[in-house]
Amino acid sequence: MNKVVIGLEVHTQLNTNSKLFCSCSTKSDLPNSSVCEVCLGFPGSKPKINKKALDYGLKVALALNCEINKEFYFSRKTYFYPDLAKNFQITQYEVPLGKNGIVFLDSGKKVRIRRIHLEEDPASLVHSAGISTSSYCLIDYNRSGIPLVEIVTEPDINSPSEAREFLNKLITILEYLGVFVVGESVLKCDANISIEGYERVEIKNINGFKNVEVALTYEEKRQRELISKGEKISRETRGFDDKEKITYSMRTKETEEDYGYIAEPDLPIIEVSEDWLKELKREMPELPEQKAKRFVEQYKITNYDAKVLCSNYSISLLYEDICKEVEPTFAAKFVTREIMGVLNYNDLTLKQSGIEAKEIIELLRLVNENRVSEKNAKQALIRYVLDKIKPREFLAKENLLIDKSEEDIYNAVKIVLANHKNIFEDYKQKPDKVINFVVGQTMRHLRGKAEPRIVQKLVRELLEKGKM
Amino acid sequence: MILQLSDFVNQVKAGQISISENTYSIIEEAKKVNKKYNYFTTICEDFALAEAERLEREVRKGFSGLLLGVPVSIKDCICVKGVESKAGSKILEGYKPNFDATVVAKVRAEGAIIIGKTSQDEFGFGTFGKNVGVDFEIPKNPFDESRSCGGSSSGSAGFTAISKHTHVSIAESTGGSIACPSSFCGIVGITPTYGRVSRFGLIDYACSLDKIGSMGKNVNDAFLLQKIISGYDERDSTSIRDQPDISILKRKNYEIAIPKELVESDLADKKVLDIFWNCIHKMESEGFSYKEVSLPLNSKYSIPTYYLIAVSEASTNLAKFCGLRYGKHEVLKGYFDDYFSDVRSNNLGKEAKRRIILGTFARMSGFRDAFYLRAMKARTLLIDEYKRIFSKFDFVVHPTMPILPPKFEDISKFTPVQDYFMDLFTVPANLSGLPHISLNMGFVNNLPCGIMLTADFLRESELISAASFLEGLL
Repeated sequence: MNKVVIGLEVHTQLNTNSKLFCSCSTKSDLPNSSVCEVCLGFPGSKPKINKKALDYGLKVALALNCEINKEFYFSRKTYFYPDLAKNFQITQYEVPLGKNGIVFLDSGKKVRIRRIHLEEDPASLVHSAGISTSSYCLIDYNRSGIPLVEIVTEPDINSPSEAREFLNKLITILEYLGVFVVGESVLKCDANISIEGYERVEIKNINGFKNVEVALTYEEKRQRELISKGEKISRETRGFDDKEKITYSMRTKETEEDYGYIAEPDLPIIEVSEDWLKELKREMPELPEQKAKRFVEQYKITNYDAKVLCSNYSISLLYEDICKEVEPTFAAKFVTREIMGVLNYNDLTLKQSGIEAKEIIELLRLVNENRVSEKNAKQALIRYVLDKIKPREFLAKENLLIDKSEEDIYNAVKIVLANHKNIFEDYKQKPDKVINFVVGQTMRHLRGKAEPRIVQKLVRELLEKGKM
Repeated sequence: MILQLSDFVNQVKAGQISISENTYSIIEEAKKVNKKYNYFTTICEDFALAEAERLEREVRKGFSGLLLGVPVSIKDCICVKGVESKAGSKILEGYKPNFDATVVAKVRAEGAIIIGKTSQDEFGFGTFGKNVGVDFEIPKNPFDESRSCGGSSSGSAGFTAISKHTHVSIAESTGGSIACPSSFCGIVGITPTYGRVSRFGLIDYACSLDKIGSMGKNVNDAFLLQKIISGYDERDSTSIRDQPDISILKRKNYEIAIPKELVESDLADKKVLDIFWNCIHKMESEGFSYKEVSLPLNSKYSIPTYYLIAVSEASTNLAKFCGLRYGKHEVLKGYFDDYFSDVRSNNLGKEAKRRIILGTFARMSGFRDAFYLRAMKARTLLIDEYKRIFSKFDFVVHPTMPILPPKFEDISKFTPVQDYFMDLFTVPANLSGLPHISLNMGFVNNLPCGIMLTADFLRESELISAASFLEGLL
């Protein structure tokens, strides 16, 4: 079967405080409240570059192992559209800030990055009655001028799941850099996909990285079916309907669109000095792979757990916080199995879940002290995430905290054993059945408020001792 | 007798001139003159009179400034907060900026009174002031109404020449729009080094070429205004950070270069050349030395290079005018592209449309290598040619315009290309972003005629000093 060949163009907002070419805030509530003459494109206004956005863009390029262009500039991409305040977008064309990067997938496979550049986001269009039925549309310029980074890969991706893995890796790196906030920052993707030897199709504007795999899976299947039927795949631009989960034809691509690029004459050429680069490199945070390596060395956890923990920036932070108080291998197990399990099951980000390290530390301490069973601990975590009730409060309210010391349990087992005269003889015949019986009796005696593992351990010890 | 700007300010400070009365008087003059000559797109009477009263109160509290009470007119393409700023175009009808251009803020901070917005070729697209926007009136030469007062800063030059008051004007040049009307109206126009004056608040023609400069009745007036509006501005990323101050120097023995290709050009009117050489000989006798030099690249390639870059940039700058956010609106109908087309078809003038089409063509894929990108490369070579001259000479000197102010009926006979070639004398310095000054060198048949001096980058002090000396000779 011929390979599927996929290249991605990823656009994501950079998490700066102010816009790319003016000092308007990137955070706003009411429509058209965070706007000025620059992001509205008023005659007479001039763009002024946001240094922070340049720093962020350059850091993304460095993190993706790109070459940095020592001199780069901005260009005007001209097209008429109501969301574009100036009817041109300030972007980068001939010389982007970074090129020739690499992202490694888990298999060791390389996905090459062709280029990375900065550009301004257009305004958002609001069709109050849906795009096909509204007789008018409203424009919100709050988004106009928010910095976007565009990351273009070479066609090195060979399956929709590889595309998802690539995007996951990319987002994690962006999160580590502090330029992207999962659950808040917007990610959009254009994908080029073809079956080797056949025409290429572009899917435009896929919102959210989860949809990318869905759209590509649909499109791969569609193209393969056409080929098997002996039909032609036409070179075209398709859209993605995220309700129907299908792609649809938007326009056939006879020629490239012509944006009439010129150098942006209101902005100077940006020169990246050695000092600036040094500074950026000094400021570069630890990236996922480095962090996983450190976790293995520092916390003596498995490679696998380290990788899982570090594949999610906020989880890796949570884990390190927990490790300050809790034994690291135990903490790793709880975070990767229980916490990540609950989050995945409920499709929540760590931030959305509201989980705080100090609550988890307290919970794990109770588990360590045998004051709560692991089963009840998991229950407490679920209630914590879903009902926002603190684990300790939940356990106390539900009377699930074990208040018996080992000595109390020991005494209880002795009482149970004393009440059953032939128990040691029976134990020799059917040890498992007797253990279960004594454990059950002891638990009843203690009204269930004891850690079954300890009861089991003491029952076993005392039965072994008594059978002599 | 019209007072020089510095004397006027001194008399205002001494209480010998009332700011309010003077403002009222010049506004009345402007209104009267405008009926005949069309120098203003907006006369801001209420605004100016209120400003005069406010200023008088401030003066009583101790306020002073280098332009105290001085009436200043502003080319229409430069934004004045709350005052309709249209760049001479109908498509910007009703646009009242919510900010002052940096140059406007600067003169106001020195106590200037903004009296109005001056007429121009639409967006600066013209040499003769004839390419005014839809429904605008063509400004006329103060010496002969049947003739052009030059463009595109037509109103600024015309009113500076005709006013009986102390008055200066803030003008703008992309390819010669300060020098040309200065020559045709017999006044002084300074075009500074590109980047010396902030363009923040300028409604763009071609951003990499646009320069805001000054006009006055004499070198001193223009110099004072130029000094005030110059300086780095963080709101214009192309403005120059470290600028030498502009001041009048004592030196007189300047070495000047006269470009052969220009003074031998077929375009040049013999009467203009005669008066020019007279002037040169007078200068020579006063310590200047001159030599004829050759500028082969600039004389041949500056016009196509300039127009390619200018129209490419202009066609993107004008894209924003679509009746959506400000300016002229039309009745909403059809899809957005139908609406945009309607607004632009109805409200842009013929030359604006021509330059949009030319510019869009020059940057289309398939053509941009041959036109836009090649022009960008050519510009570097043309600058280098000037730099070689300035390694040996202080100034390049030639008549500002090859001709006397032409009659409108003659201009109508020019083809667009002939029209563009009339900029041959002013375009080279403008394309290279070099500072230049135009001052009147004499009259032919009662029509003024300017001489232009161009200096190396940031050499405004030498330029203005030489012009000031020259002004005394003529």
